Amino acid sequence: MNRLIIAETTRLLSSRLWLGALIGALVCGGVMIGGLTLLGPENFDPPMPGLDTEEGVRSLLGMLSFTVFVPAALGTLAVTSEYRHRTISFTFLFEPRRWRVLVAKLITFAVAGLCYGAIVAGTAGAALYGGAAARDITLGLPGATVAELLVRLALAMAAFMVIGVGFGALIRNQIAALAAVVGYLYMVELVLLAVPGINAVYPYLPGGATASLTGFTYLADAIAEQTSGSSSTLLSAPLGALVLAGYAVVAAALAVAVPLRRDVT
Amino acid sequence: MTRHDEFRIQVDKLTKRFGSVTAVNDLSFTVEPGVVTGFLGPNGAGKTTTMRMILGLVTPTSGTATIGGRPYADLPHPSRTVGAVLDSSSFHPGHVARDHLAVYCRMGGYPLSRVDEVIHQLGISEFAGRKTRGFSTGMRQRLNLATALLGDARVLLLDEPSNGLDPEGIAWLRSFLKGLADQGRTVLVSSHVLSEVEQVVEDVVVVRRGELVASGTMAELSSAAVAAVVVRSPDDERLAEALRAESVQGTRATSVERLEAGALRVEGLTTAQIADLAAEHRLRVHELTPERSTLEQVFLRLTSDPRESVR
Repeated sequence: MNRLIIAETTRLLSSRLWLGALIGALVCGGVMIGGLTLLGPENFDPPMPGLDTEEGVRSLLGMLSFTVFVPAALGTLAVTSEYRHRTISFTFLFEPRRWRVLVAKLITFAVAGLCYGAIVAGTAGAALYGGAAARDITLGLPGATVAELLVRLALAMAAFMVIGVGFGALIRNQIAALAAVVGYLYMVELVLLAVPGINAVYPYLPGGATASLTGFTYLADAIAEQTSGSSSTLLSAPLGALVLAGYAVVAAALAVAVPLRRDVT
Repeated sequence: MTRHDEFRIQVDKLTKRFGSVTAVNDLSFTVEPGVVTGFLGPNGAGKTTTMRMILGLVTPTSGTATIGGRPYADLPHPSRTVGAVLDSSSFHPGHVARDHLAVYCRMGGYPLSRVDEVIHQLGISEFAGRKTRGFSTGMRQRLNLATALLGDARVLLLDEPSNGLDPEGIAWLRSFLKGLADQGRTVLVSSHVLSEVEQVVEDVVVVRRGELVASGTMAELSSAAVAAVVVRSPDDERLAEALRAESVQGTRATSVERLEAGALRVEGLTTAQIADLAAEHRLRVHELTPERSTLEQVFLRLTSDPRESVR
């Protein structure tokens, strides 16, 4: 199994994908949070609570959860590019026990996802404190709580990268897989959120679970307000983490099981 | 069991259906170890599907394909035993050739020094540091072969390796295959053009529409070549009658065919026998040409669709 993980790591580091991922992490983390901190949530339209309040800091960091589609897309790309460029034939020739290839990919990208999350969270934290210092604001949330929120976000990023790998192994067609992942996160869930009755299951959907894990409920609240329906209550953070991990496990299991007998023509 | 039996490829009653299309039908043949076998047939005859079934990439509808008695996936060291080239291009366009080889070198568990060895073996050091995106067909084919040879496998399966190569590339490929054969490797090489492989293959397996048409040594295939004579005569109709009706020195033409006005194709008689018969009947003969049936013609006859060549 080690040789397969080394091979997948070599594959990842040999193309420019990792560089794109690094830039993505910096933009989604440090650049975005730094910019928003300097701008100040109180100057948003509509205004949000300032960074000197607890809610203000939570909301700002919670915006990071909007970017989970990036690691999800990266994970999807990693698998679908094998089918697109037909390297999958060589891959399954060198390791005909296909499940081992997929397990190696999942492990590699879980680690890559953690690195991605760590960079996003690390630069976001640095930018938050740097920006606050520049504007001479004392943050409304203690450092330990900020750190905890950032760790939760990093874990969510890693989970979404694994979910992306699962999607990619399942759908194989690069464009279709990317459209499914991004489309689901940005369209389907929002629509479900607005439908009375169905929105009761929202806490159990990936987006809802992410919201409870990251403590960012701005979106859910805003939509609930607009539709004047009852805001669906999110799960507790640990439960949200568990649900999200569950999705990652299901995606991983499908990624391992589905390619087993599929013809590679 | 002899020393090389572990490299024998055995295809047994292999069938593959894709929906309502039968790509391979009840196909059985053996690829003997230590020789180069040509796997021949027109495009769409099921060669690729068969090779993919031997390699476990496609699951047969029924039947089995084994290497040394085991399915590919059950080999203890698959890439050390069998190397294969299936697609004309199977590289990430953003990878340089060396990195592509490194990925599969790692995957096979070989020391990274193998990368430089196969680069040297295939003579690709010139472009080993370039991205595969801009590779020509010839470069791609060499990189494919380099990947297949990473494990120094004794068995090689090459699907249409000459496709898209220029004459120089085909000549290179031929000498390369020859070299592999001289090293005593088992090679199964598919092609839809016999002439591209005929100088290197010892055995042939010919398929058409997913079914076996012929298999055996090249010599056996050559003996299927029937000698014929083309006769040009202004009296062709009467000559044809005479050839059909009478025997010359106890032999009779097995086939007399009118090619065009003034030309006959005769099987089963020599030029001398035909000339004598014509003289006996006082018929004019302007030309007698023995037609050497080439292997290519035998191949075409074997692989042409009987439904399309009804005379």
